[in-house]
Amino acid sequence: MSDKPGNTPPTGAGGLTPVLRVLSLWRGRAPLLVAGGVLSLLALLAGLVLMRGAGARLAGTASGTLVVGVLLLRVSGVGRVVLRYVERLVTHDAMFRALADVRVWFFRHLAGGAAAGLGFRRAGDLLSRLVSDVEALDGLYLRILVPLAGACLILPFLVLAVLPVDPALAVVVGGLFLTGAFVLPLGAALLGRRQAGALTHRLAGLRIGVLDLVSGLREIRAFGAEGRILSHVRERDARLFEAQARQARLLAVVGGASYLCGQAAVLAVLAAALGVGFGPIPAVRAAGLLFLVVAGFEGIGGLTRAGALAGGISRAAARVISVGAQDGPAVPAGTLPAPAGTDLRFEQVSFRWRADRAPVFDGLTLDIPAGSRVAVLGPSGIGKSTLAALLLKVAAPTSGRILLGGQDLAELDSGSVRRRVAWLSQATHLFADTIRANLLLGRPDATEAELWMALDRAQIGDLVRSMPDRLDTWLGEGGATVSGGQGRRIALARTLLSDAPILILDEPATGLDAETERDFLLTLNAVTTGRTVILIAHRLTGVETLDRIWRLSDGRATAVAA
Amino acid sequence: MSGDKTVMKAWTRAQSRLGRRQAMPIVGLGLLSSLVAVGQAWCVAAILARVLVGPAGSGAAGLLGALAALALARGLCLTLGDIVAARAGRAARRRLRDGVLSAILRGGPALLRQQHSAELTALAVDRVEALDGFFARWIPASILWIAAPGLIAVLAAFIQPGSAAIMAACGLAVPVGQALFGIGAAVASRNQFLAMTRLQARFLDRVRGIATIVLAGRTEDEAHRLADAADELRRRTMKVLRVAFLSSASIDCAMVVALVLIALRNGGIVLELHHGAASPALVADATMRGLFVLLLVPEFFVPLRGLALAYQDRAHAAGAASAMAALPDGDAPASAGATAQVDAEGVSVAFEHVTFAWDAARGPVLDDLSFAVPAGQTLILVGASGSGKSTIIEMLLGFVVPGSGRVTIGRADVTSLTPSNLSGLVSWIGQKPVLFAGTLRENILFARPDASAEDLGHALRAAAVDTFVSDLPEGLETRIGEGGFGLSGGQAQRIAIARAYLKNAPLLLLDEPTAHLDPATEADIFASLRGLAQGRTVILASHSASVHEFTGQRLDLGCRHPVPVQGEHEHVG
Repeated sequence: MSDKPGNTPPTGAGGLTPVLRVLSLWRGRAPLLVAGGVLSLLALLAGLVLMRGAGARLAGTASGTLVVGVLLLRVSGVGRVVLRYVERLVTHDAMFRALADVRVWFFRHLAGGAAAGLGFRRAGDLLSRLVSDVEALDGLYLRILVPLAGACLILPFLVLAVLPVDPALAVVVGGLFLTGAFVLPLGAALLGRRQAGALTHRLAGLRIGVLDLVSGLREIRAFGAEGRILSHVRERDARLFEAQARQARLLAVVGGASYLCGQAAVLAVLAAALGVGFGPIPAVRAAGLLFLVVAGFEGIGGLTRAGALAGGISRAAARVISVGAQDGPAVPAGTLPAPAGTDLRFEQVSFRWRADRAPVFDGLTLDIPAGSRVAVLGPSGIGKSTLAALLLKVAAPTSGRILLGGQDLAELDSGSVRRRVAWLSQATHLFADTIRANLLLGRPDATEAELWMALDRAQIGDLVRSMPDRLDTWLGEGGATVSGGQGRRIALARTLLSDAPILILDEPATGLDAETERDFLLTLNAVTTGRTVILIAHRLTGVETLDRIWRLSDGRATAVAA
Repeated sequence: MSGDKTVMKAWTRAQSRLGRRQAMPIVGLGLLSSLVAVGQAWCVAAILARVLVGPAGSGAAGLLGALAALALARGLCLTLGDIVAARAGRAARRRLRDGVLSAILRGGPALLRQQHSAELTALAVDRVEALDGFFARWIPASILWIAAPGLIAVLAAFIQPGSAAIMAACGLAVPVGQALFGIGAAVASRNQFLAMTRLQARFLDRVRGIATIVLAGRTEDEAHRLADAADELRRRTMKVLRVAFLSSASIDCAMVVALVLIALRNGGIVLELHHGAASPALVADATMRGLFVLLLVPEFFVPLRGLALAYQDRAHAAGAASAMAALPDGDAPASAGATAQVDAEGVSVAFEHVTFAWDAARGPVLDDLSFAVPAGQTLILVGASGSGKSTIIEMLLGFVVPGSGRVTIGRADVTSLTPSNLSGLVSWIGQKPVLFAGTLRENILFARPDASAEDLGHALRAAAVDTFVSDLPEGLETRIGEGGFGLSGGQAQRIAIARAYLKNAPLLLLDEPTAHLDPATEADIFASLRGLAQGRTVILASHSASVHEFTGQRLDLGCRHPVPVQGEHEHVG
């Protein structure tokens, strides 16, 4: 998948820019996100005070001078627990809101731009990967930003606490803390970023191997290749594991190094207390510092791991952000409402999906008067679906123009165009939802009676009536719980609900067997009278009633006798 | 639902048993790490006591050295522990993935009737990946959370039984607190996990169907609904987390209580010694003991915290368990006691009173079906989709077994043939051949990896693959399949035909071989297929109008009586 040309969004080496872009999406949530961060810092502070107090109290009693009151100890103890609890609630709440924002932003962007053309071209796998990238962003706030802010607070606290006691010790402890909190995680991030690439690549490799195995089950059995294919997948698995093992080793070593930084700081404080290397420091203060250092370094324990994950997260952010900049020609956003007339005219339309691709249309001219029934034929891959994309304003002509009721499509508001033009294809998606919800997508205000009427006209009403939950029957992913023909009829019912005067039927019966196809086309003949029908197909079956037929070749349409 | 839970429990238990052995080194290193931590606490306490009470100086350097050595040892333990845990996770995933893939291979295409291929792929890849934490973290943590604190408490008891008792009491309070808040939270968090998965599925579904939404003009509606669904999930999740975090706060709470109590207690002891004007040595000793147990408190709670952190790994496992339980289990349906051998010379095929239902509720697809195809003859299956054409072919491939009746190839019952014998007898060409990721050559040689260059050349010519290979950028070495060069439907079908030539099996199964082709290509492919059919027994399922170009018996599954095709298009090929 990852090396498929033209289908991969810029893999984006990651880096800071996409992360900043994601953060800018969260601007509206800033108060909550910051509040979560502040609470987290307060909890950390309470922990530091508690530990310092516990140490100092003990030291104080041991040397006979009581320094810290029981009260302070209790207050900071209770404070730590309460603050930690509130902090976790607030940060999680903020994260959920922020993630929901990203989801909605992503959805709008995908739907709004030329990216809709991407969905139109059914790059399902790419889309699923992008979705999992959105999910991966939850680590950005909780695991990276909040702990990083904590580290930024602990550092001065630590240094300021040690400085008055012994400057040399402050330098050593501060340096060790810097190493543990920033240098090591940064190193892990840089190393991890390179490995994140290898991991993604090998995971994709494994996925391809498994997908081959799953979709090739019949071939594998027919050729007795079970052993071969299994060892092939195992090989890919082993390569993934090898990369994972490398990353695990890196993480473990960096984690160990970070631990040793903390221990070195503890040793330094103790050495200073004993007067070894550093000037002897007062015993009571030494005890306080010791506990403080332990707590401080504990606060940054997770940062190295987060650093190693940062590479993956910034790559995910880059891919999510790049959705806004998908390739494909831009579609001008018109403002005028669609006119009443529904005559369609293509005037010298040329189009190519990308500058480096061959043109799909080159001077295409078509005249489709309102209410006529026409067919556009051509072998697969010639650009028949592109015709639908152009009419629906998912793509725009590179030159020439398309007129709807005498108005240039480019000037018309795309929403109002799409209320005029309904689309039914084999790619029409049935959502994992109830039949009712799937139908209501066609017209949200349809009444129960209208829904049944549409189902009946699509000749699927009786079947739905026989289902135990009737309209509330759950359709699996992609309509998995009904047969292909039944699914197509439900999609047809949805299309019929919209009262759009122009219907584009893009290979509406492909993938159905001959009889089902015939029946379906006959149904289509019956239910579409009075509307403009544009049938796009690679062949005709002979049952279609048509006024005109064009055949596409070399980017132009030639009229064929109807 | 309760059945689901039983399945999950059984699965989790079985997997825990399997994972435990791998977890032992992790547990060992964890215990060793706790032991070293006790040593560290001892050294730190000794140094502090010396500094606070005296006598300073003597042996200080030795203690510092020992502490440094222990810190290194601990660092090593932690690093090794992480590496070993990752290894255990990998071993478990390798085992699980092998199991899933074998189950898919056993289950065959019948699985694809219930689950989408993407779902099965996700199960074998992503679900298994997500189980890493269950084996790498949860299983060791579920042992360590008792063993490690126990070890620390026992060691502390030697030094200061009273403080050890406080520690143990606070430690025991954790499970009580967890039980108090946790049981509800565990149930709720499982539901929440399901809700989360559902939202993700919904999001993915809407994104996949984005073209449909955009074209229906429903973008804003769906965006709002998506936002509402996410918000609803957040509210519900927060309700759960409010309780769930209480249970982890109970660990914090227990630790703070233990710290404060032990600090006060020891403070009291030492203060009393001061007031009683005890000897400095006595004070130093008491201080050291006090510091030692105090320093042990955080170490005591580390494994408890680890368990709480690993709990979500368990939740992931529960989700995967039910998905994996849906796969067929160990025993292969067909190959049991398979001994019969059929010669690879021309074979006949017969169905004798075969009945089969995919789903008992929907009634049988095949009902008392009988037909016979003599060796070298062709049988054409016609009928609407769902009339059982593919079922017949899948029975001949050995993927499904008749509910009653017998299917024979060369007079041997299909269920009595070994899979390798059966696959030696049949070639199969479907609607769209699967092109595996790899070169064109690898894809054709898939049929017979050890084929000679001569055989390969013959197959290429016979299937007319050579007519388009020369136009490809790298000829036979062109990479095709996922992530490679795209072939047209007709070209792909030619590769399937070349595979069949290379395999040269006596029985040829053709399942809608031209369903996705335009009429011109269809005619070409049928011509090639007629060549391939020469001298073989052929079962052809097709609804194409051009199917009459094949001569042979015709079985209309709508009416169930074999009718010979009238020879209007006799072909001598």
